[in-house]
Amino acid sequence: MKKYFVLILITTLLFSCRKDKPVDGPSLTNIFGAFSVLTGLDASSDAVDFAAGETVYFTAELSKTSAWQLRITGLTSGAEKIVTGLNQSINAEAYVWDGSTTELPMFKSEFCQVELSFPDEPDTDTILLDTIEILTPKVNQGFLVADFENGFDAGWSTFLQSGALMDFQVKNDVALSAEGGSYYNMQGEVTWDWLVGLVNFKSSAYGVPTFPLNANPDVVYFNAMIYGEPGFPNSLVLFQFDEDDNEDGVFDEASEDRYAYEIQVTWSGWKQVSMSYTDIAALVAASGNQVPEPNKLKDINMLHLANPASGLAKSKLDYIIFTENGALNP
Amino acid sequence: MRFILLISLIIACSTSILAQRIGKKVQFVGAARTLMSYSDFRSEESDTVTAPTSFGGYGLIDLGIKINPNSQTEILGMFRINATFGGFWGSGVSFDVRQLHVKGVVADVLRYQIGTIDYKLTPYTFFNHNPDILLPSTGTMRIKEEILDYESFNGTNNTWRQQGAAIDFALQFPKVIEEIEFNGFICRLDPSNGQTVFDRLFGGGNMVVQQSKYFTLGVNHASIFDVRGTAVSDEVYSNNVSSLTYDFTYEMKDHIIGIDGESGISSTIYSPTDDASKLSDYFIHARAYFNFKKINLGFDIGYLDNGPDFRSFGAQSKRVNFNQQNTSYQRYTNDQSVRPVSYFDLYNDPSFYARNISVGIMAYNPAINNALPYGMASFNRRGAYVGASYSDSLKIIEADLKYHFLQEIRGQGTETLKSFHYLKGNLRFSLSNLLNWKNNIALQVGAAYQSTSRTSDFGYESINLNSIILNSGLEVEFADKLTLMVNFFMMQSKGNELIGERNATEEIINYKPYTVDGIEWNLASGLRFNFTRDIYLAAMYEFNNNNFVDYTPYQYHQVSIYYVMKF
Repeated sequence: MKKYFVLILITTLLFSCRKDKPVDGPSLTNIFGAFSVLTGLDASSDAVDFAAGETVYFTAELSKTSAWQLRITGLTSGAEKIVTGLNQSINAEAYVWDGSTTELPMFKSEFCQVELSFPDEPDTDTILLDTIEILTPKVNQGFLVADFENGFDAGWSTFLQSGALMDFQVKNDVALSAEGGSYYNMQGEVTWDWLVGLVNFKSSAYGVPTFPLNANPDVVYFNAMIYGEPGFPNSLVLFQFDEDDNEDGVFDEASEDRYAYEIQVTWSGWKQVSMSYTDIAALVAASGNQVPEPNKLKDINMLHLANPASGLAKSKLDYIIFTENGALNP
Repeated sequence: MRFILLISLIIACSTSILAQRIGKKVQFVGAARTLMSYSDFRSEESDTVTAPTSFGGYGLIDLGIKINPNSQTEILGMFRINATFGGFWGSGVSFDVRQLHVKGVVADVLRYQIGTIDYKLTPYTFFNHNPDILLPSTGTMRIKEEILDYESFNGTNNTWRQQGAAIDFALQFPKVIEEIEFNGFICRLDPSNGQTVFDRLFGGGNMVVQQSKYFTLGVNHASIFDVRGTAVSDEVYSNNVSSLTYDFTYEMKDHIIGIDGESGISSTIYSPTDDASKLSDYFIHARAYFNFKKINLGFDIGYLDNGPDFRSFGAQSKRVNFNQQNTSYQRYTNDQSVRPVSYFDLYNDPSFYARNISVGIMAYNPAINNALPYGMASFNRRGAYVGASYSDSLKIIEADLKYHFLQEIRGQGTETLKSFHYLKGNLRFSLSNLLNWKNNIALQVGAAYQSTSRTSDFGYESINLNSIILNSGLEVEFADKLTLMVNFFMMQSKGNELIGERNATEEIINYKPYTVDGIEWNLASGLRFNFTRDIYLAAMYEFNNNNFVDYTPYQYHQVSIYYVMKF
């Protein structure tokens, strides 16, 4: 009797080791089966206040795991957010929109159109959603240098050449701005010099002796939005970063560091340029301690340059902001 | 380099003199081999990029010094000098340590070995299965297979070469039990990097109780585990397998009958903090056998049930690493497409063969072995097999045949299960034994057929894959010690399969469709001159034709000269 008990016990222990699981891996139907949209596209809210921290997510149920693309387009700005995924259920786990954009300009307070498409299912039509409204656009964390929404700050200074067709001024055009409703236009033809015009963004304009930035150059990111005018790829935008190394309240090129970053504007439309403070590699005035120190940044000079032989140069500038621990997610 | 060679020579000469003087306290053992080969490769598409012909070769010597300081201790150190032809005084020369061990007996009771050990336990715990070379070879193929086995330390005994320590001892009893044998081993699979990678050890052992000549019972355990504290993490991995082996045998005047097998459990923990990552399962393998002693005819019938979550990487590690690319003619055609691994490559290139236990499910080629890709220890298989073997007393005819019918236990992506048929047989006919000739004349023919099917109303679930491998060879010793060899092998496969793609915890996350349709065949002939049983010179010519739908067909001509000696 005892032997039978031991045998039964061993057998029970052995068979209890196996999980009662009918199938290994994802269902083949989910991967290779016929595709259909079981539940159409919907949004968790038809109006969202991103500035207040609200978000919106989208839902749809598919017959199988499929590649999908969600495209949100601002009907006023033309801003686009494009998201892709591979899911059977599109829901808050798949994606939550925080008001950010993929293609500049940034979203504004506007109505947006939402489209859901399936790149691997060519026979399936794109699904459109009724518009959702952005009550207030997303607010980005960081130190804002300029968004030109209140015109040209009196604390900044400028120098413009007396060239032809000179047009350096803040313009108000919601449809054309990268952010908000204003941008800084830069245009002119100077046949005797590379410099067309410049703007000095002085820390004093913000009521501080130096820009209030983290001392660690690895975590500080400089971001600016630059518009390349179609047909005018000759613009150069040069940012200079002047550090007050001896902290005497004045930048002295002969004894302190100046870093520079030059951008050839070869593209058309708005583009975000971002770099960590460490990556602003060119030390054009190495007279100071030669250590990049964002917390000692005194002034930022933006120079619009062009080859004198290249004719008229045109570009636009908007939304200059310092962020921490990563580039701006606009 | 010359200085090192000189010192080696002086040491070798002086030790040899010493050996002569003090008997067998110091012996030289080892092997030497020279290979010269010429290859000509042509694809059926325009190829102005790949050089069609290549010439290569090497000479190597494995020199081992075996020292017996006393009758109970042996120290063996073996190093390899390998010189690629054309690089003897340059970069083509390498020196490696191939083997280093100390072994002996303590107090005439405990045997031990430290250093490199060739070890195995049981087919489900620690065993070097050979699931990709399905048929035995003869002639030119046998020469190649012997070299592969030697290079990758795959002995004929299904052992894995490891670095560690092993002990064994036995206790004998006057009654009830005849003997209990204890075996244990420990070896290191991976060293720690001091930060993120743990020291990973592989250890285990067994206790084999021989009750009488009728009954043997074994308790076996093997465990792969990370040593806590050797990395800055708590995510220690472990894979434990425990089993019982048994063999009831009864020998009568004319026949032997018996039942043997192995059953046990396994558990695998990828992360101790994540219960979902734990896999546990059991396996059962039982076999009944019947042998007619007088006519050397045997039959066996077996049943196996290897759970879908059964993991035993000491027994499921494959010899062939199918994730590796070819080293010869790796890319071809003007598109420089990657040349897939052919069956010929498995015989031709030792670099495909793993030399260590791989912790994780290894890739396999469904066209070669889809039924039991990890040998007898393959997981997620249930079914039965029958086999027969015959050998007459003069060894004129030796034959064996085995048929497996297996099914999945758990479906992959569907509840519909795949079925597998696997039939293989081998026949060796010795004309010289029949006619009682001194010179060897023998023909060997083998075939392995596999079929995988899954029937479903949904096309994407349906699987139908059929493969056949033929391997035949003729050896004719037409003059004293001079043998003519002719060989032919063929692999044909057609059908489809879905291969599971797995994540870090071996969970299937996707399926990759696999299709195959084509044939590969290889014709070889050669001459072999045996100076002694362990020293021979062989020359062979091979023609390999590879014609599969999914990639550009090609042909391969190869002429090789081998000089092989063991001492």
